[in-house]
Amino acid sequence: MTLGQEFRKGFWKENAVFRLLLGLCPALAVTTSAENGLGMGLATTFVLVCSNIVVSSLRKVIPAKVRIPSFIVVIASFVTVVQLCMEAYFYDLYKALGIFIPLIVVNCLILGRAEAFASKNRLVPAVADGVGMGLGFTLALFVLGAVRELFGSGTLLGYAVFGSSYQPLLLMILPPGAFIVMGLLLAGMNLLDARRN
Amino acid sequence: MNGMPRLILVLTLITAGAGLILSLVETVTREPIAEQRRLETLRALQAVLPPADNSPDEDTVQLLMGQDKRGRDVFRTFFRGRKGDDLSGVAFKVVAPDGYSGNITVMVGVDSEGTVAGIEILSHQETPGLGDKIVLPAFKGIFVGKNLENADWRVKKDGGEFDQITGATISPRAVVGAVRKGLEFFRDHQVKILAEAEAKAKAETKAKAEGDKP
Repeated sequence: MTLGQEFRKGFWKENAVFRLLLGLCPALAVTTSAENGLGMGLATTFVLVCSNIVVSSLRKVIPAKVRIPSFIVVIASFVTVVQLCMEAYFYDLYKALGIFIPLIVVNCLILGRAEAFASKNRLVPAVADGVGMGLGFTLALFVLGAVRELFGSGTLLGYAVFGSSYQPLLLMILPPGAFIVMGLLLAGMNLLDARRN
Repeated sequence: MNGMPRLILVLTLITAGAGLILSLVETVTREPIAEQRRLETLRALQAVLPPADNSPDEDTVQLLMGQDKRGRDVFRTFFRGRKGDDLSGVAFKVVAPDGYSGNITVMVGVDSEGTVAGIEILSHQETPGLGDKIVLPAFKGIFVGKNLENADWRVKKDGGEFDQITGATISPRAVVGAVRKGLEFFRDHQVKILAEAEAKAKAETKAKAEGDKP
């Protein structure tokens, strides 16, 4: 695969949420608004790119027997960095995402990319993979959050869209709404793929 | 070098590197984080206290509440707002353990008579769209001007006079109950809280007067 393909695959063909079905816990839990989805996605992207860089650079140094503990230490360190920086400089977002920031550590997407890609590839493809996969994840969370916020609160990124007469569809903000929107989006993507073939 | 020593060496180096980076980041972010937390408390204090010209987060008194399950002392902090030399109000945090989902932390501001000047919800995990309406001004406003004598501290459903929120009774009931308990604690310890406040104010005035002397 070329570098461009490594980058692009994360958006559709191997999209973390809609194709690999990885990282669903944060994808479903924090997407009550577009802003939360965006913040969570970007935080995850940062951790993913950093961990891919370190894992790829150290792939010949780390013995196979201790690779999983090593990856987890690397990932947990970057997650803590994100958490501290977010609390210091984006306090409102930090409050909104809450417990889900430390839980980025156990997001299977990140360990999955470290194990399946970064530990077997050179630095540049690993970065392209991390950025593409991370932004694809961000896009998925943003779309999920935007749809839920639009119907559940009648706003988009905090701006009122439907006017004050709109009766919010509460279900969309509640946990079942996450599964429903996720299922509909998945079905839509499958439909598009089927048409294309 | 192979086998076990190499495993140990590599893991040690990686964790040491991680520890180094983390301590660096922690050093850089320590001050901004402390500042953010202080600002958050200050914002809540300004929202619930009558206008004050001091920093209520620095003028505090701690009273012993009792002991927790492990026998450690639990303190409650009272933040005091002043206008000139007079005490304009006292604020304190109460925790409602009986919300719909987890604890609800509320900052309550009262004047020196024990009448509520304002409340602010600091943290909660109530259901979005239902119980989380406790953060709306329409709900928080009900508490203003109420005290233990002039109000029946129950939600309407329980026979009191506090409006519950349509579709959510548990969250408002928890908040009302917690604020009531806070007010009762304030009433029972009022003398101590206010007396210490006055003693401190006098001491400060005295110190200032002595400092002014040439």
